[in-house]
Amino acid sequence: MRWRSPTRSGFPPAGLWLAPAGIVVALIVTAPLVEVDVARLAGAPRKLVEFLGHLVVMPDWDYLPDLWQKMRETLEMSFLATVIATALSLPLGVLAARNASPHPAVFHAVRQLLSVMRALPELVWALVFVSALGLGPLPGIMAMAFVTVGFMGKAFAEAIEVADPRPVEGVTALGASRGQVLSFALLPQAMPDLVGTTVYVLDHNVRAAAILGLVGAGGIGYDMVMAMRLFEYERIVLIALAIYVVVTLLDRLSDRLRARLIHG
Amino acid sequence: MKRPDDAGPETSVPAIELVDVGKRYPNGFVALAPLSLAVPAGQFLGVLGASGAGKSTLMRVLNGLAPATSGEVRVGGVTLGPRTQRAIRARTGMIFQQFNLVGRLNVMTNVLTGRLSHRRGLPSLLHLFPRDDHDIAHEALARVGLVEKAWERADRLSGGQQQRVGIARALAQQPNLILADEPVASLDPVTSAEILDLLRAINRRDGITMVVSLHQVDYVRRYADRVIGLHRGELVFDDVPGRLDAAALERIYGPRRAAPPEPADALA
Amino acid sequence: MADASIAALPPKPRGFFPLWAAVGVALVWTAVHDLELSFEALLYGIDDMAEYLGRYRAPDFAGLPKMLTLMAQTLATALWGTALSIAIAFVVAPFAARPLAPNRVAYRIAREFLNVIRAVPDMLLALVFVAALGLGPLPGALALGVHTAGFLGKFCAENMERVEPGLYEALSATGAGRAQVVMFAAWPSVVRETAGYALFIFDRNVRMASVLGLVGAGGIGLALHDTLRLFDFGRSSALIIVMLATIVAIDLLSSWLRARLH
Repeated sequence: MRWRSPTRSGFPPAGLWLAPAGIVVALIVTAPLVEVDVARLAGAPRKLVEFLGHLVVMPDWDYLPDLWQKMRETLEMSFLATVIATALSLPLGVLAARNASPHPAVFHAVRQLLSVMRALPELVWALVFVSALGLGPLPGIMAMAFVTVGFMGKAFAEAIEVADPRPVEGVTALGASRGQVLSFALLPQAMPDLVGTTVYVLDHNVRAAAILGLVGAGGIGYDMVMAMRLFEYERIVLIALAIYVVVTLLDRLSDRLRARLIHG
Repeated sequence: MKRPDDAGPETSVPAIELVDVGKRYPNGFVALAPLSLAVPAGQFLGVLGASGAGKSTLMRVLNGLAPATSGEVRVGGVTLGPRTQRAIRARTGMIFQQFNLVGRLNVMTNVLTGRLSHRRGLPSLLHLFPRDDHDIAHEALARVGLVEKAWERADRLSGGQQQRVGIARALAQQPNLILADEPVASLDPVTSAEILDLLRAINRRDGITMVVSLHQVDYVRRYADRVIGLHRGELVFDDVPGRLDAAALERIYGPRRAAPPEPADALA
Repeated sequence: MADASIAALPPKPRGFFPLWAAVGVALVWTAVHDLELSFEALLYGIDDMAEYLGRYRAPDFAGLPKMLTLMAQTLATALWGTALSIAIAFVVAPFAARPLAPNRVAYRIAREFLNVIRAVPDMLLALVFVAALGLGPLPGALALGVHTAGFLGKFCAENMERVEPGLYEALSATGAGRAQVVMFAAWPSVVRETAGYALFIFDRNVRMASVLGLVGAGGIGLALHDTLRLFDFGRSSALIIVMLATIVAIDLLSSWLRARLH
């Protein structure tokens, strides 16, 4: 039997195999950089099972109050970071929205600023801020706020840009000032998107806050790394479970909330 | 120079004066050929013309939403320009075909936006208005018969009700002049008649000058004191509705279709 | 003044805004109090920050070749992670799409699997893989792949559910097997969106790969950690610039590619 593709030439269409072929070539070329080692990979499942086996232990119940404390710190950090980021993103988002920005130069400058702010992950800024301010939740909050302003500012700007121009004309025609047009015509229309973005960012920040402790920027991540280094499996179980539960709950909650905002 | 605020209902100053006013877009399209026109205060002026004849452009030229590219626009004796635009808009109500309300805000807030040009500063940005403004808005809502809908979201209302809110918003401005751009083109005939009755009552009782563009000749005959006709951006008719004969309509709508769509067609 | 002859306004419905605002303020206050943040410390900190950030003014590009090698390793890790993510999603997504799943049990298992791997942060996964496999970029790539497969798989499954059901029925009606329906109806219908989302995931993985080094999973992150610990601001500044430039470039490239997909 001769296999043929349903094309004129009988070969699969170029678009369909060129991209995957390119990816495979790139993977092969970069394999040494990633230190791909078949023997090591083959041994991985056994080692993973072994590691997971260690986790079948009696959890360290005495650690629970501490865990609660750390988890609360994590949530509070992400909440504060989200509040700060929202407060900063609103004005920046207005300046970065084509239909609300006072000048095209301002629009471009703010868009550039926002894209640089969101380029690097929170952990990089957390490293920098920790080295400036010392250990604690403050550098973590600043790092999260910094990165999420870059993301939120852009999302806010886009929400303002898709506003229906007719109410804007309606309010402009009766002599409203720039700020009044913003407050009465643009922001009310953008509101569902603004709230949706904020919920999404809160969700994202909780995930981020859970690992910021790696660099000493507060939250539960620190305990996790320490437990990992000291092979305290009794604690690892609890911490991993707590992170999983919180992230899942928040994920579901934000999915629901956003669905309601879009349909309601 | 007179301030627009004291333009008042004096009859000596025309509500609107256009001197060689034209609008040409950067791509060379002439939306409005230079025309001159004077509208006395208190007049109900109907504007006729096919789609794209320049009716909307004329309306927008009158309050600076689409600034004229030549000539001079005087509203209540004040020349329209970047400096006077806001003061003129403050006393000029505008009513739109698509109502242009802020759907997510309640009816009361939409009517209160009519007070924005009189209230500057932070409180107005935070949606706070003095007691007097609330009374003015309440009264305007009563005029259009929608007091009981005050706290409902504007986008929950029917088209006719939304247009009434649009009229209340214009009334809340306490205007000398109201521009209505195809105010009934999106409404059914019964509602259309109600809206036009309301506009005429306001015109007669408050002496507010009305410029209303329409595309049903029928309505113009019934409501307007005077009619102007536009054809491809040019003023081709300017007289009392009684003189709108077949020849006049052909000048406005072109020879191929003597009669514009009547309300019955618009419904179909 | 509204005169008495005008109908009175109906009672104004009570909004919940004041309640929400009060709850928000209370939460902020509690959080600030709990975390022992003080505004003086913040002001003092900002003052410090200005002086501190000034030290990054003179980037030291002496070790540039080494930095670029590390950046290349970071990109390679992200690429392998993304490829793994696509491979996992390719297998799991059809099971997690209601019209394609063989039965409800398989559907639930696939969905829950995707939920679980999505919920475990990739840094945590990287810690686990490093513990199991030893140091190096390979465990990092595995962590990225597994974590983002949760997102990609869910995205593909939801898109497959949105495909017009008649399409699947039409193919089944010709006697095609389940795998054939997946290959000929499901994947071709969603391949464009999937490619766009995979690019988005690659973007994200490049960002994350640059910090995986903190847990010993390769890439440029560990270098930054070390130079910062040694207070070598020139080298730190250079590393941040290399990362920033690469990430912004990758961002531009992928948004150009995504635009071409549509």
